[in-house]
Amino acid sequence: MGNYLVKRLFSMLITLWFVITITFFLMHSIPGGPFTREKELPPQVIEALNEKYHLDDPLYKQYFDYLKGVVTFDLGPSFVMTGVEVTELIRKGFPYSARMGGLAALIVLILGIPIGIISALKQNSIIDYIVTIIATIGVAVPGFVVATVYIYIFSSKLSLVPSFGLDGWKSYIGPVLALSFFSLAFVMRLMRSSMLEVLGADYIRTARAKGIPEPIVIFKHALKNAIIPIITYIGPMIAAILTGSFVIEKIFAIPGMGKYFVESVGNRDYTVLMGTTVFYAALVIVAILTVDVAYTLVDPRIKFGD
Amino acid sequence: MDNKKISPELWEKVETEASQTEKITRKSLTYWQDAWRRLKKNKLAMFGLAVVILIVLFAMFGQHLTDWDYSSQTLKNANLPPKMDVYPVTEDKNVFVHREYTLFLVSDKGEIIERLEPTNGTLDIMQNKRRVYEVDGNEVVLDFSFIAAARLKDEVAEKSFELKVNDELVETTESTWNMTYLLGTDDLGRDLLARVRYGATISLQIALVATLVQFFVGVFYGAISGYAGGTVDNVMMRLVDIISTIPLLLYVILLMVVLGSGLSTIMLALGLVYWVRMARIVRGEVLSLKEQEFVMAAKTLGASTWRIISRHLVPNALGPIIVSLAMMIPSAIFTEAFLSFIGLGVPAPMASWGTLANDAVKALRSYPHQLMWPSLAISMTVLSFNFFGDGLRNALDPKLRR
Amino acid sequence: MREKIVDVKNLKTSFYTHLGEVQAVRGVSFDVKKGEVLGIVGESGSGKSVTAMSVMKLVSYPGNIKDGEIIFKGEDLVKKKDKEMLSIRGDKISMIFQDPMTSLNPVYTIGNQIMEAITRHQGLDKKAARKKAIEMLRLVGIPSPEDRIDNYPHEFSGGMRQRAMIGIALSCEPDLLIADEPTTALDVTIQAQIMELLKELKDKIDTSIILITHDLGVVADTCDKIMVMYGGLAMERGTAQEIFYEPKHPYTMGLLKSIPRMDLNETGRLVPIPGTPPDLISPPEGCPFSARCPYSMKICKIDMPEYTQFNEGREAACWLLHEDAPEVEVDTGVKRGEVNDK
Repeated sequence: MGNYLVKRLFSMLITLWFVITITFFLMHSIPGGPFTREKELPPQVIEALNEKYHLDDPLYKQYFDYLKGVVTFDLGPSFVMTGVEVTELIRKGFPYSARMGGLAALIVLILGIPIGIISALKQNSIIDYIVTIIATIGVAVPGFVVATVYIYIFSSKLSLVPSFGLDGWKSYIGPVLALSFFSLAFVMRLMRSSMLEVLGADYIRTARAKGIPEPIVIFKHALKNAIIPIITYIGPMIAAILTGSFVIEKIFAIPGMGKYFVESVGNRDYTVLMGTTVFYAALVIVAILTVDVAYTLVDPRIKFGD
Repeated sequence: MDNKKISPELWEKVETEASQTEKITRKSLTYWQDAWRRLKKNKLAMFGLAVVILIVLFAMFGQHLTDWDYSSQTLKNANLPPKMDVYPVTEDKNVFVHREYTLFLVSDKGEIIERLEPTNGTLDIMQNKRRVYEVDGNEVVLDFSFIAAARLKDEVAEKSFELKVNDELVETTESTWNMTYLLGTDDLGRDLLARVRYGATISLQIALVATLVQFFVGVFYGAISGYAGGTVDNVMMRLVDIISTIPLLLYVILLMVVLGSGLSTIMLALGLVYWVRMARIVRGEVLSLKEQEFVMAAKTLGASTWRIISRHLVPNALGPIIVSLAMMIPSAIFTEAFLSFIGLGVPAPMASWGTLANDAVKALRSYPHQLMWPSLAISMTVLSFNFFGDGLRNALDPKLRR
Repeated sequence: MREKIVDVKNLKTSFYTHLGEVQAVRGVSFDVKKGEVLGIVGESGSGKSVTAMSVMKLVSYPGNIKDGEIIFKGEDLVKKKDKEMLSIRGDKISMIFQDPMTSLNPVYTIGNQIMEAITRHQGLDKKAARKKAIEMLRLVGIPSPEDRIDNYPHEFSGGMRQRAMIGIALSCEPDLLIADEPTTALDVTIQAQIMELLKELKDKIDTSIILITHDLGVVADTCDKIMVMYGGLAMERGTAQEIFYEPKHPYTMGLLKSIPRMDLNETGRLVPIPGTPPDLISPPEGCPFSARCPYSMKICKIDMPEYTQFNEGREAACWLLHEDAPEVEVDTGVKRGEVNDK
């Protein structure tokens, strides 16, 4: 088990390094450099700026400096918002995104798993029918549609909830709903089909033949097996919620990290763009590592080797 | 035992049609025929396919459904809805009250004739919040002072406007469909039907080309990796693993920032990032097929490597590949919409469903129809592809062959 | 005369699918006495597995026992409610299945799965249950059971897994063990070992066994009596000796002709039975075997023959055995006087 952990950790670091490198070189291959704006700056100013930010250093030096910076949690200053460090932006914005995203993930699991199970147990009943329809539609509707429809109905027409910002519990409903919608539908479907598959397995028949009462057959024998694909999905789910947050934060005007990320794309604020990308990547990597560990706790078959 | 007497002829021997009992009851079909047959039976999948075909036809030929071009602006006709509550003025002429409290002359068939010009001066309009018009000799007054008045008294207004024709209060008589702009207009007076159709071409193109790029790069990479096996495969897949750990969208965004917004850059970016998914699938298929006995059989019969790949491996791997392709298209549409929302969509004057949606967000509260059409288009397309793709997956699964 | 452990009378089980009623078992009767091994032999689709599942009342939806009695230790199981069956399954009647790879839950240890049955039915605490479980593993021939009890199924080989399954099934010392094709998925050498194990344990624990199989070879060695099933009905019943050396039913004779016999001095070819089993949604009116029987007569297609009783427990359903039937030269597959005495 320890061996496995170390291997995973190592590959995760490689991945992170890979992302940093790609991001770095991509950013530095943008024609014109970071100070080419629509309004032309006088060349002396550009020169001074380049010197100030060490942009005239040889590329490999800049690269290693940046790597050093990442390790010391120094992601450089913003090129657009003078005087603001990238890490500061992350520190400001991340709590919002985290709260929203975390809630969304929780909802997906807390709602999606039981509903999927019930749907499987009551196969072909009305409940199952409704769940299947919602789930099928849910994976086809983009998050921004959910967000905007929600705003339209509950905010404009009914004035029940605020339509922007994140203060007060009411304002969480919309963003969390929009963020979790797709994954919730997905998990419901996945849980249902996984449960159905497991319930038809031979070892369930064996459990019944041992005289085990049905509730225990379902919750002890079936569930632990059926939940495995769900755990596998948690990694991609976090990635989906993360990327979804870009758009949701923009629509709901939430000052989270996603908003800064999107703005940096528009402003061509390269350090912020790089920094937030690296941060996101690191987040996902950590999340996946955690999920993998959780996975080994459930499925003993993979303890040994990859 | 009862005493029923059994009549003698019943003891006669009967020839067994044993040879017949082993007769194969169905003529055998090829893999593809069988798959197509099963697909046809799946009503949901066929429905999805039908909708997809309809959408494609719409994209290709839909411009004839409307007189307008996707880019021609008629600023006067900005933000018109697809369905209007009209007020009668004369025998055959009605008026529609725009949200901005301007008046449009509408024929009784629902066609927009023109936006009327008020006869009173700007000062009068601003101070008294009313516009006066003349229509075929009738005086039409639009009074929209109620909201401002209510605000002064800190109350909620009962109504937002009042329409009087020749000093008589008029109520709306009917709700007609906008026959000039079937889906309404956007904030620059462009016909939404034309724009959604145009957006369809762009979005579908992007999805198609991106998918093709993913296909070629992915199949190439995956087949080599799978067939080569050993260390080559290990290294190649390591690379894929590393790339895939991070949300691929981040790469796309970065690429777009580097390459700049543009139709071709989006296609390229999507293709160059998402190929890893296809590569994985193809490699998996090739790996498992490679070990199967029919490959060994072919080898013992003396087939060359090329023949093995083209005649044996690829056709068998084609099933999951086709299914993946069918699912990549909706995924690309989603992603393109997403990119548009971040500001990385196709640049103006081009329009995709994503950019249409993004543009419409700010007008959501006032003119929700503008967001509704592209959203509906996206959802319907994705849903149909999902149904079709699911059906395809079930039909092409050889284990389900009956 | 030993007592009857289970006495099945006219069992009928059907599956009610959207395609129609699949009559899997159409009126089967048999009994098993204490310490006996009954072999139920038949092709796929003959109804033998469903018969076994019916005895445990484990027929899965959309199946149901339509009619008949299953008298187990004086009580009719058919009338029992599901809750009551819980204390019988795993405790008084146990079952082992064909594929040990998939019949064990992959995410729990072997020990956990054995102890589950023990704690549930015998009320032992964890420590005592664990001791008993280790004993069971030792009994079924698993080396170093104290260590292996904490292994997961995937860490066992196929043969060991089946042994573990037997261990689980016998852990509560049931009166009846039903073994549904226990060796079909195993290598031939392992097959022999498992069958030996079953015989050994049967004597040690004094349990009765119903052995379901399509393999006559397996049956020959272990079974006291045999029931041959076809198309949802029993064709013939008798002791192993009687069935192998004096078969009365053409189907049995066909089966015997299609396997190599080491115990006869015969030469010549194996003769397979041509044709395929009948469709159970619309089962044939008369004898189910009539379509493939070389001796079938007109009456065979019209009516199912009644059972001709020879002795207690020895019967066969064939019109040829009717008192009015014509004398027909029947090839039993056993030439008299050519039996190799083992």
